[in-house]
Amino acid sequence: MANKGWDEFEIGAMLRSFEGPIKDIATTHQEDRAYSGNNSFTASVADWRIEKPVFNKDYCIDCQFCWIYCPDISIISRDKKMIGVDMDHCKGCGICVEVCPTNPKSLLMYSEQTDEEQALAAWPAKDTSKADSKGEE
Amino acid sequence: MSEMKKIKNLKEFSTSADRFEGANLLCPGCAHSIIVREVLNATNDDLILSASTGCLEVCTAVYPYTSWDASWIHIGFENGSTAVAGAESMYKALKTKGRLKQPDRKPKFVSFAGDGASYDIGFQWISGCMERGHTMMHVVLDNEVYANTGGQRSSSTPIGSSATTSPAGRKSYGEKKNKKDMVSIMASHGIPYAAQVSPNKWKDMVKKIQHGLSVEGPSFINAISACTTEWKFDPKDTMAITDLATDSLVFPLYEIIDGHELNITYRPKNIVPVEEYLAAQGRFKHLFKDEYKYLIKEWQERVDAKWAQLQRREEARV
Amino acid sequence: MAFDKMELRDIEVWDGNFAAAQALRQCQIDVVAAYPITPSTPIVEGYAKFLADGYVEGEFVMVESEHAAMSGCIGAAAAGGRVATATSSQGFALMVETLYQASGMRLPIVLNVVNRALAAPLNVNGDHSDMYLGRDSGWIQLDAYNPQEAYDLNFIAFKVAEDHDVRLPCMVHQDGFMTSHTAQGVKTLTDDQGYGFVGEFQPMNDMLDLDHPVTHGVQTEEDWHFEHKARQHRDLMLNVTPKIQAAFDAFEKLSGRKYNMVEKYEMEDADVAVVCMGTSVETAREVALEMRKEGIKAGVVGIRVYRPFPFMEIADALKNVKAIGALDRSSPNGAAGMLFNELAGALFNTDTKALLSGYVYGLGGRDLTKAHLRDLYKELQSNVDAGKVTTQLQQFIGVRGPKLAFL
Repeated sequence: MANKGWDEFEIGAMLRSFEGPIKDIATTHQEDRAYSGNNSFTASVADWRIEKPVFNKDYCIDCQFCWIYCPDISIISRDKKMIGVDMDHCKGCGICVEVCPTNPKSLLMYSEQTDEEQALAAWPAKDTSKADSKGEE
Repeated sequence: MSEMKKIKNLKEFSTSADRFEGANLLCPGCAHSIIVREVLNATNDDLILSASTGCLEVCTAVYPYTSWDASWIHIGFENGSTAVAGAESMYKALKTKGRLKQPDRKPKFVSFAGDGASYDIGFQWISGCMERGHTMMHVVLDNEVYANTGGQRSSSTPIGSSATTSPAGRKSYGEKKNKKDMVSIMASHGIPYAAQVSPNKWKDMVKKIQHGLSVEGPSFINAISACTTEWKFDPKDTMAITDLATDSLVFPLYEIIDGHELNITYRPKNIVPVEEYLAAQGRFKHLFKDEYKYLIKEWQERVDAKWAQLQRREEARV
Repeated sequence: MAFDKMELRDIEVWDGNFAAAQALRQCQIDVVAAYPITPSTPIVEGYAKFLADGYVEGEFVMVESEHAAMSGCIGAAAAGGRVATATSSQGFALMVETLYQASGMRLPIVLNVVNRALAAPLNVNGDHSDMYLGRDSGWIQLDAYNPQEAYDLNFIAFKVAEDHDVRLPCMVHQDGFMTSHTAQGVKTLTDDQGYGFVGEFQPMNDMLDLDHPVTHGVQTEEDWHFEHKARQHRDLMLNVTPKIQAAFDAFEKLSGRKYNMVEKYEMEDADVAVVCMGTSVETAREVALEMRKEGIKAGVVGIRVYRPFPFMEIADALKNVKAIGALDRSSPNGAAGMLFNELAGALFNTDTKALLSGYVYGLGGRDLTKAHLRDLYKELQSNVDAGKVTTQLQQFIGVRGPKLAFL
């Protein structure tokens, strides 16, 4: 956001989260909200990442562990399904991968430059040395 | 009391629409935002929020950005609880006077603060809020250290932890004092609800948040918040460390209703030795030197004693 | 309305504290968060009693410190409603951190400050140390010299502070004990007149508007902080004074009582003038008249609006005088004195040839007697006669022991 002069902003350094009124926010998902330019949703921290999570839908059981434990609201779940990762807001911490219970994991960390198609094509096979994966809690 | 949001399982919970946004400036792997999300998503009610100065505050409202989708205020380090109490008082006044813009909606009032802002500098303000009976919830994001200022000890810092103002050194094992028992202190105000929560046990957390938000009067929540930066572990391990905290009973989960009715809410099937919890974090690394190993034993004894005490309190209802 | 109106006589015998409490009642404050301290306590006690008797509707929150009192006021004001409290001295000092936060967030809180000395040594009596402590806090500061003005200025304070072009908190000062505990005749407004003057609170950026979530109290670093502070200062310098003048004019129309940025007394042809604040203004006015009988053309300038400082108005008021005494009721602790400094600044680039000297007086409630002021006026006249300041620039008056003078 461009730096503004002293006469170009709201007094008291007050910020509004949305453009205009918002009704039923607690049941309105991000894609249906009119965010203001001051909402950090409109910003990106993608350049913080050294590694990125890659999501492999084939193994996902929609357990939502990654959704609940993601610190950055970057696991996009709609209608109880895991849809993907919000790469503007993911900081690459890797928690989603650690808590993923499937075998093989449905999320894995790769270097930021890795091509996603290639990563998916070379996805590891089931690790037979491990006990059966956890199911949904 | 408004109707509580129904959350039977994690799939159902995942249909929540977050009111806390990404591209905040919290460290990768920070448990603060995991806790904040679980708290906010536990309800569909309108929210009036505050944060005291600390990591959460400085990382979520740095001009020109806010990460909050509900009204939010920060005043200072010590007074976030009182900010919300003031707002709650205004809500009551305007309700009486018929001047609420949305008179059919009853917002919940929640203040967030770190352990420094709660156990230390904000202690008096929180005590005042609890004593006066505001219908509000105070949530401590307890990472047992002044993380925002770079890792100084607070009265929540546990024995043996190396903090920048109680560093481990050639002649010191670090922090010398035991962690303050904040939940008991707050429960002793006779408030309707006080509880200790942990983000790994999300269902327990949600249940307690919903309980706290449903009572008339104050509720107090102490949430363990594993700090990748100051506890010194890899950001990906936040939940693993948190699991060790709850499963070793270093951080037992319980609630205290009306100041006396104590319920233990999580009993680990397999209790993990405290040593495993300590070994996973850089802040306790020095304890594994031969001359300090006795401290690990003492740690285990303290945790065992506290667990026994909690069970006695639960049974005795005192 | 679910509260009872109070029938007041045209003139009531009230001390400054009760006058302020009555004004708060008539303004129908939504939230008062308060903590007791001498000598301001009766103001909030008064509000609590009015609430208990059903003469006001609102919330009285008796908190655990003055810091919490202002913190609660900030939360309540940000939520969106009319907010007030009162304090003095150490309590004011404890509030200072939050004073800057209230003004920086542009929250129109009214704070009655019953001026009292600052420890150590501890002292409960009136001087202006606490008022001076607030002078850079970004608040509007109005100064009352007697209970009538403490009453009137509270209405002015809400009217100005809550104006959407202003949105700045406002202090109403009165002298501890000399005003706060001295009963005098106070001409009253009816409840309808009083409330009608301030009007219904108009919320702005209110947290309780649940359809429009707002974030208050952000962090701004080197890339934004300066602009926000500059905006606040600009609004104090340019927006506030016209609004205060408009409120003074409207209030005069309503009550017949006229207020000014600086209160000039016998200044039309004055050779020597005293500039001061609080109850001293009234004493100085009496003495000025007496001096005039003795052939000294004496005048008084009282500061009514302390912040924003009436730089131009005071220069204008003093443009024709030959000698000025700046009376500071607070120990400058290593400087010349606030009023001395402000007057020097206001006059330096003008054509004035006036001789300026400073006096420190009345610390910890020490009386400023008429005899002190007579001597002072005579000294100013001898400066005029000599064509130079014949004394040191800063003198302590009314203190025991060998004479203290500096500069």
